[in-house]
Amino acid sequence: MQLQDKYRIALLSAYALGLHGFESLLPTPIPWLRLGLANIITLVTLLLYGIRSAMMVTLIRVMLASIFTGSFLGPAFILSLGGGVTSTLSMGFVLSLSPRLFSTIGLSVIGALFHNIVQLFLAYFLFIQRIEAILLIAPLIIFTGILTGTVNGVISDLLVKNLKNTDVKIQNWI
Amino acid sequence: MKLKGLLSSTTVADRLLLSILIVLSLSGIIFIKEVLPKGQTVKIDVDGHPLYLLPIEKDVKVSVEGPEGKTIVEIKDRKIRIAESPCLNRLCIKQGWIKRGAIVCLPNRVVVTVGDENDDERKKIVDAITG
Repeated sequence: MQLQDKYRIALLSAYALGLHGFESLLPTPIPWLRLGLANIITLVTLLLYGIRSAMMVTLIRVMLASIFTGSFLGPAFILSLGGGVTSTLSMGFVLSLSPRLFSTIGLSVIGALFHNIVQLFLAYFLFIQRIEAILLIAPLIIFTGILTGTVNGVISDLLVKNLKNTDVKIQNWI
Repeated sequence: MKLKGLLSSTTVADRLLLSILIVLSLSGIIFIKEVLPKGQTVKIDVDGHPLYLLPIEKDVKVSVEGPEGKTIVEIKDRKIRIAESPCLNRLCIKQGWIKRGAIVCLPNRVVVTVGDENDDERKKIVDAITG
């Protein structure tokens, strides 16, 4: 890993962390509903710099965010880590499988979907252990996940396009 | 923000995935309650004492002894009725098959109620939180 990559990852992680923190300040109508704004940075990193950088950014973001909010190694941390890692892996996998099949928006939705599915599984195995309760809430969680995933995908799409349009901007941004 | 540009930047797979997921999750929200087992139970009380707690899925005939004599409660196809009763006006038998609610036979002091299995559990949870 070159020095420039390290700078990039550090900066991107900082952006992701900032969005993560900002998002936790926003009031949401339902407690477990999160916008997943940090996923924007993960997705942009994945598209511009590849899966390894994206995974690094995700791991750093999840670790630091949980340390800052005091939930390190707690239930929220496990859910966050599981969701973040799987969502990054799923997006990277689909992208490497066929780069042209899905656009940025599709990738974002896939990431959001896997994030939700894994969190539901983790919640079932670790905390709730009542399959009816999980099944009852799963469609609702997945539906909101699709909505936020689409919105994040649109934002990521605009971001990537703007960054790719001018090389100078990339130098300045990163 | 140009909506057309946005649409053109999505691929066919995108739209397919999105529409499939939206249809699946929406139908899931609507139908999941129907698919899940209801978890209803039939409770039979005689003279204020709970005697039986039966699952609604199983077809059975239960005979209970009240002050006036034997009352036979029948469960079939998730429906409940009182099949035989020693009471005079036979109102409980005339009520026929019920799916929810209760059948009360006052003369023989038999009360049959269809309830949610989770009711007690929910109350327990509230108690655990407050107490």
